[in-house]
Amino acid sequence: MPDTMQSDAAQPAVEEPNIPMPMLAARNVCVSYSGKQALFDIALDIPQNQVTALIGPSGCGKSTFLRCINRMNDVIDGCVTSGSIILDGRNILDASEDVVRLRQKVGMVFQKPNPFPKSIYENIAYGPRIHGLANDKAELDEIVEVSLERAGLWQEVKDRLDQPGTGLSGGQQQRLCIARAIAVSPDVVLMDEPCSALDPIATARIEELIDELREKFTIVIVTHSMQQAARVSTQTAFFHLGNLVEVGDTEKIFTNPEDPRTNGYITGRFG
Amino acid sequence: MPTDAHIVKSFTAELDRLTTMIAEMGGHVEAAIADATTALRRRDSDLANRVIEADRTIDQLEAQVSAHVVRMLALRQPMATDLRTIVAALKIAGDLERAGDYAKNIAKRTLILNQSPVTGPVSGIANLSQMVSAMLREVLDAYLAGDSKVAEASRARDEVVDAAHTGLFRELLTYMMEDPSTITACTHMVFIAKNLERIGDHATNIAENLVFQVRGEHLEDRHAVSGPGSES
Repeated sequence: MPDTMQSDAAQPAVEEPNIPMPMLAARNVCVSYSGKQALFDIALDIPQNQVTALIGPSGCGKSTFLRCINRMNDVIDGCVTSGSIILDGRNILDASEDVVRLRQKVGMVFQKPNPFPKSIYENIAYGPRIHGLANDKAELDEIVEVSLERAGLWQEVKDRLDQPGTGLSGGQQQRLCIARAIAVSPDVVLMDEPCSALDPIATARIEELIDELREKFTIVIVTHSMQQAARVSTQTAFFHLGNLVEVGDTEKIFTNPEDPRTNGYITGRFG
Repeated sequence: MPTDAHIVKSFTAELDRLTTMIAEMGGHVEAAIADATTALRRRDSDLANRVIEADRTIDQLEAQVSAHVVRMLALRQPMATDLRTIVAALKIAGDLERAGDYAKNIAKRTLILNQSPVTGPVSGIANLSQMVSAMLREVLDAYLAGDSKVAEASRARDEVVDAAHTGLFRELLTYMMEDPSTITACTHMVFIAKNLERIGDHATNIAENLVFQVRGEHLEDRHAVSGPGSES
């Protein structure tokens, strides 16, 4: 890629005086899998306490980008990442970055609910315990209760905390996973298609939850549902063929996008 | 009109159907204005009655557009250009329905005028009617072509229409002062002129909705000075 294009790509999201510092600032992020480039010079700011939706057709790179944010791509053989993502003044893509510490600051919720095959209590308590966030049982109990409360699950499970998390319904399991993710007090919560395995009611609960969680956390969500992106997010980024085509206020993207490719995708005209 | 088709072909077909319905409504409204004016000029009560009768078709078409829009909003959950096209169509149908009502009002007043021996300055009304019809035709052609450039031109034209309406109003006042026996007839003519002027406003609204549909922008509200008298 020629140098001129690199500098172009780095430009669009540079801080302007009236915009607060973003929670995450990605610049020149390139990812390739075994030599095949999957992301090209992504420059994207993720604002604090906002919900950023990443949309785009399958294979556009949105999940790849999401997985960069907590270095999930590290485990894939042949995956090479370059560029920078600044969180708390540190480039989290730097080889010296402590990935365990990073994943405490950046939690993740996956497409299919994946509770540990342990009790509901242990599902939540595991993370805070290994990160040493609680000094005693009482503090741990409180973290479990607050996390489940925030995930809107407390009332439903408070009398059966010792039962297996896998025994809950799909929607409850997903909320358990969200509670687990937020139990370690992350700055950012990543969600990769968190509702695709859920029915509309459970989906609505998760969406309501996302809206509430925004007060405490910065959320990045990948979704194939345009309606979901429109409902839950404040900022939307459209990816196509590994490029970030357009990013802007969700309302603007879904009513009057600038780029014809964005319009084509969200109106279902993509050839 | 969006140029390229949806992956789901029936969605494109439904949007096309919406445009067709608007075009059909527009055709009926243009005919109603022309016929109402002809009925006035020729003192043709049969034609006036047909205009009144034909307004039902326009109302029915508007109801069909509304139902179609509600259905598309519910079933297609349209976004971006599609959403704007659908919302604009709903509003444009509303404007056309109102324009049709004004044509019907003109026909109704024509029936009354035809019962009295005197009629005021009909040629002024016919001129105003022609200006307004041309304006509406231009806007509807632009709608079918998806051309938003018409909006500014339409606003300029509307100012000319407003000026013509004001002139006509003064002319009618002069008639009434000179010959009080024309007051009844001329008062009806004042309302007819006002109806035509209002049709011009609706044509401008349509042009503005077209701008919203094509460019996603709301033009700034214009505070056009309306002529004297009011009838909604």
